[in-house]
Amino acid sequence: MKPRWLNLLLIATLGLTACSEAPPQVHRAKLFTLGTLVDVSVLHQDEAVAQQAVTIVETELATINRQWHAWHDSPLTLINQQLAQGETVTIDSATHHFIQQAQTLATNSDQLFNPTIGSLVEQWGFHSDERPDGAPPAKERIDAALKQAPSMANITLTATTLTSNNPAVQFDFGAFGKGYAIDRAVEQLKRAGIKNAIVNAGGDLRAIGSKGGRPWRIGVRHPTEAGVIASIEIDGDESIFTSGNYERFFDFDGRRYHHIIDPRNGYPANDAISVTVIHHNAATADAAATALFIAGTTQWPQIAKQMGIDEVMLIGNDLTIYMTRKMAQRIRLEIDDAQIKIIGNET
Amino acid sequence: MSGQPNNASERKTGITIKTTQEDHLIAWLAALAIAIHIIESVLPSPLPGVKPGLANVITIAVFILYGWRTAVWVTMLRVLVGSILIGTFLSPTFMLSFSGAVASLIVLWLASRLPGEGPGPIGLCLIAAMAHMSGQFYTAYLLFIPHDGLFKLLPLLMTAAVVFGIISGIIVRSMLQHLEKRKNDTTAQQNEQEK
Amino acid sequence: MTRADYCIVLFAALLLPYLYISQWTGDEAGINATIMNGSETTEVSLAHDHTLEIDGALGTSIIKIKDGKIRFAASPCRGKQCIHSGWLEHAGEFAACLPNRISIAVLGEEPRFDSIIF
Repeated sequence: MKPRWLNLLLIATLGLTACSEAPPQVHRAKLFTLGTLVDVSVLHQDEAVAQQAVTIVETELATINRQWHAWHDSPLTLINQQLAQGETVTIDSATHHFIQQAQTLATNSDQLFNPTIGSLVEQWGFHSDERPDGAPPAKERIDAALKQAPSMANITLTATTLTSNNPAVQFDFGAFGKGYAIDRAVEQLKRAGIKNAIVNAGGDLRAIGSKGGRPWRIGVRHPTEAGVIASIEIDGDESIFTSGNYERFFDFDGRRYHHIIDPRNGYPANDAISVTVIHHNAATADAAATALFIAGTTQWPQIAKQMGIDEVMLIGNDLTIYMTRKMAQRIRLEIDDAQIKIIGNET
Repeated sequence: MSGQPNNASERKTGITIKTTQEDHLIAWLAALAIAIHIIESVLPSPLPGVKPGLANVITIAVFILYGWRTAVWVTMLRVLVGSILIGTFLSPTFMLSFSGAVASLIVLWLASRLPGEGPGPIGLCLIAAMAHMSGQFYTAYLLFIPHDGLFKLLPLLMTAAVVFGIISGIIVRSMLQHLEKRKNDTTAQQNEQEK
Repeated sequence: MTRADYCIVLFAALLLPYLYISQWTGDEAGINATIMNGSETTEVSLAHDHTLEIDGALGTSIIKIKDGKIRFAASPCRGKQCIHSGWLEHAGEFAACLPNRISIAVLGEEPRFDSIIF
């Protein structure tokens, strides 16, 4: 008999202190990047490895942020200048991959996810770190911008070049870049051997693995009140993205104008308060959350279907909760007396 | 007690007879332990499967009378046969009683190593009951309910363990006194017969 | 009762109050929050009411602690979303002033959720 072993056992069984040390711990770190607060959780027994993982995420997100920033000087603003002058842009494979993915999503969303309306977004004043409260743009200017009708359909992409047949195309990947960045960061984490983690960038996340024996528990914040409206468990590898009218906005003359611009009329989409989407891929979830928000209470099921999204929760202006059947099966509502409509008849 | 020359031989014969009696006693005690174990299994508990450990009475009595090794046998017999009879063998309930039993046996082993007089029935029952509860609790926490909220129950469970530990200590003490008396009576009877 | 018996009884008598105090009072008395300023994190207790002034990237944010709750009371940002977040009291709740790069979060043993989306 080894006395040391026995001592350990004795300490463990008597358990004078309640703090048990379950080996793998969740390490959390918060970073300011992507224009938001990024919350990284890594489950690992070795704190050094977890810290390394956070650095990996930080580096990856910062790289994407620099590359695709829509209003700070970046390779993207350079591309926008070239496109405005009708020039052919030479691109590398990473850029090709990025724009191609965005183009596919735009097509599938019937161009409701439209990352080419940068000038419209700029007119609305959202090309600033903080939009001052001031008048919305004049209707004539919005109509003028709409008439030029930029879309991803104007873009021709080859392996090394990018051209546009519409000088009005101004990229703004606000509804895609964050998802793409999270995907890249998670990819790097996996490559580094991290199996259980969450990368949450300003309220949108991708989670991999689990919290050691139980799924990750994700709370969905209530769009109009304090607290949580629903919760979702993730075990494996999934992304949850929410688009809401409360994320970025300004008030003028007692009216609220938020940042999700409907490319069809040039005004903030107003047929939903928030849309939550679950999909394996964060970039897809990101673009879909925006597209479905714009689609609104009647059109969203059709757009979701086209985009291959089958887990959606849309909260309408009257707080009615619309859900796909698949979402309804896994989400847990944390509020009482909700008006719920489940869309889709597959069982 | 001692000093008389024929007393030693009397004692010797007493011991040979006592050996078979000891076997009977162990069997009897194990059966009793199993009975207590089964009765205990139907008692309500805030954490299913976690019990005050009254069956420890037998473990402690055997430990005091016949030593640690025998206590291990009786206890393991109790846990195995008891769970087979209730039908919980290898179930979570079984794991809990098993871990509780192992924890209390470890503590008893350590107690037997203590220098000096060592604890009596009450101290032994108390520390064994607490070890029993801790063992069960940690097993429940590690294997079945790994939620920190479980620790809110620990003070209550440990209070129960302390109360039941002391109660079983008192039971063991009177039991030992009773056995001692019986043994003396039997020895006296033997002496009578030999004459 | 031997001396060892008394020791064991004493041990039990000390262990029980310790367990009650450590397991049952932790939540009420010891709630802490973290304040993150840039990349610097400090921990504050919510047990005593007080007001903190924190210089961030943009200016001074005022953070109030009262009745075990914490909130942004004033901030140099335009949106004032941090202030709209209101009082935070439950483990895991959190508010941030992005322009000023300051965030506050309530700590706790185990928050109900591992992550919150919005």
